[in-house]
Amino acid sequence: MLEIKNLHVSVNNNKILKGLNLSVNKGEIHAIMGPNGSGKSTLASIIAGRKEYEVNQGSIIYSNKKLLELSADERAKQGIFLAFQYPIEIPGISTTNFIKTAVNKIRESKGKKPLDAVSFLKVMKEKMKIVKINQTLLSRSINEGFSGGEKKRNEIFQMAMLNPKLAILDETDSGLDIDALKIVAKGVNKLKSKNNATIIITHYQRLLNYIIPDYVHVLIDGKIVKSGDKNLAQELEKKGYDWIRA
Amino acid sequence: MIKDFTSIKKNISKETNSILKTKKTKVFDSLDDVLKTYKEEYKYSPLLRKVSKKFDILRVDSFKEKKKNIDKKILNQYKNQYSIITINGLFQKNESKIPNGISVNTFDKLNNTDKKFFHKFFNNQDDSKSDIFTSINTINYKESLLIKIDKNYSKKDHVNILNFIISNSGESINHIRKLIVSNQNSKSVFIEEFISLDSIENFSTSVTEIIQEENSEIEYLNIQNDKNNFHFNSINISQKQNSISNCFTFSYSGALVRNNLNVKLKEKNCYSNMYGFYALREKSHVDNHTTVDHIDENSISNEHYKGIMDNNSNGVFNGKIFVRRKAQKTNAFQSNNNILLSDEAKINTKPQLEIWADDVKCSHGCTVGQLDKEAIFYLQSRGISKEKAISMLLGAFSEEIIEKIENQFIKEKIKKITYKKLEYFTS
Ligand SMILES: Nc1ncnc2c1ncn2[C@@H]1O[C@H](COP(=O)(O)OP(=O)(O)OP(=O)(O)O)[C@@H](O)[C@H]1O
Ligand SMILES: [Mg+2]
Repeated sequence: MLEIKNLHVSVNNNKILKGLNLSVNKGEIHAIMGPNGSGKSTLASIIAGRKEYEVNQGSIIYSNKKLLELSADERAKQGIFLAFQYPIEIPGISTTNFIKTAVNKIRESKGKKPLDAVSFLKVMKEKMKIVKINQTLLSRSINEGFSGGEKKRNEIFQMAMLNPKLAILDETDSGLDIDALKIVAKGVNKLKSKNNATIIITHYQRLLNYIIPDYVHVLIDGKIVKSGDKNLAQELEKKGYDWIRA
Repeated sequence: MIKDFTSIKKNISKETNSILKTKKTKVFDSLDDVLKTYKEEYKYSPLLRKVSKKFDILRVDSFKEKKKNIDKKILNQYKNQYSIITINGLFQKNESKIPNGISVNTFDKLNNTDKKFFHKFFNNQDDSKSDIFTSINTINYKESLLIKIDKNYSKKDHVNILNFIISNSGESINHIRKLIVSNQNSKSVFIEEFISLDSIENFSTSVTEIIQEENSEIEYLNIQNDKNNFHFNSINISQKQNSISNCFTFSYSGALVRNNLNVKLKEKNCYSNMYGFYALREKSHVDNHTTVDHIDENSISNEHYKGIMDNNSNGVFNGKIFVRRKAQKTNAFQSNNNILLSDEAKINTKPQLEIWADDVKCSHGCTVGQLDKEAIFYLQSRGISKEKAISMLLGAFSEEIIEKIENQFIKEKIKKITYKKLEYFTS
């Protein structure tokens, strides 16, 4: 589904990713761990289509397409979803309206009719229950004045609404209380299917108790330096990163 | 530029009413002085140079009314709504539909009592002493309207003021003039539009004086959306005790548009809201000059203008606040926020405060910025195209102003017009 080969990325002449390889297949859950500043969010942004980065080398193939040639919205239409590490506040646009526009734009790209107000509300109510997010929050401007946890929950809610093929969760678990953590895990597990894949970026093995990853990768200094199964996460929790660096 | 105004003297000699003749003569005599202020007041908007090149702005028109028709399709958009209709500055009584409690008449048709009433206010509140275009309007208008809102009037329905301009009959210069008196305890809503019925370049001036008696409230909106129009608009409001004015200026297009909005808070406990939104593309040029004059104590003025400029468009905002010595406990707020979408677009923004009282709360601020790239990316990452994301963000930017409109029908109307316009903004 996703095949990243020898990816080199820089921003303002700073090299951030330095020859990264990653391969994700349908139905898999991958966890990426690594120290602060190692390039995890950069990788997530590159996949989602942020344009400020310069790709110096390498390629990303997603569902047989050259991903780097697509704009961010085209990627979303192809099923890519990024739950942001720091979701931005956008005053003046109600969350509900925003999600409705997004859902319908994605439907439109698949040749489907837009959801009318009633059917949209029905779907929304369903997903709201799963994510345990309330209506008043969604009627407010996008993330405006949301607490840290509410922002993360809103990301998961959007994920549930958009039903992506490849979801990337960038530290969605940071700043969540235990209940919210379980909700996020439930959301991801509910979404999991033969055709979907998830990449979870996290610092804590805590989340991985609820979402069992098929692979755990360690990203240090712009490269994946070690891959393993869920036990690797536990080992990292105990020992830190130094033993790998050395 | 114009140095010799003698040709319009003919217009004054044609004036049959002696009081008006005296007033016009006075205005004429001070033209040279008024012209001296032009350079500073029109620093960024060379309206006089532009229009005197293209139009014979001192031309003396015949006063004879020619029969003109407006396409029914256009009028149908306003079906079942109250409307005051003018064509090239002339009142169209038969086409208009005026609610009970409001009377509309041209000066000639007024009875003697109303004429006296008219004289009491006419030309006393306008800015003919400081703006050359108001002076020209005062001397050259063909017909002046008196709009009187009865005491205690409070119909929720708005009244359109539709000024149609037909240039293909050879009249590419039009002067529109009216006096609105909002009597005690009345509450009314007007929405004014200037609509060219052909695509010929034209120049129009419109001068409106609004007199607000005690406890009256008026919501006055102005929509400008005419690519070929050189337009000068001066709205002058004078408020008595406990009155409220809510003014809105929406500009979407214009070859060169200049808006003067002057509000005098003459007595205690007045409240004035001045809101503006401009969204300009291509070579449009819109200049908003506002003045609020706090003359007596305990009044509030609140001003917020927001604008978006794309391509080679030009915006100007100049907001003056005067707080006189007697106007203690004044609250005056002003802000102007702008988004520039292209490197060629320009905005000149300038607040000007003159405060003589000491117990005053005043604030002002202006910002000029670009759209937030992070926000565009966030929306895009959810499947929304860049173009749509931009127009959504611009819509959100406009919302703060549009939300202030009290009248629900008009709010929806403005929202529709605005969002439609914003679809064409990209960067
Ligand atoms: N726009 C930018 N300009 C300059 N440096 C940048 C920019 N964006 C990211 N970087 C740098 O790239 C490096 C990688 O950042 P990134 O956000 O990918 O790290 P991360 O692995 O997600 O870290 P964390 O665990 O703290 O979230 C950091 O050193 C960061 O400062
Ligand atoms: Mg990060």
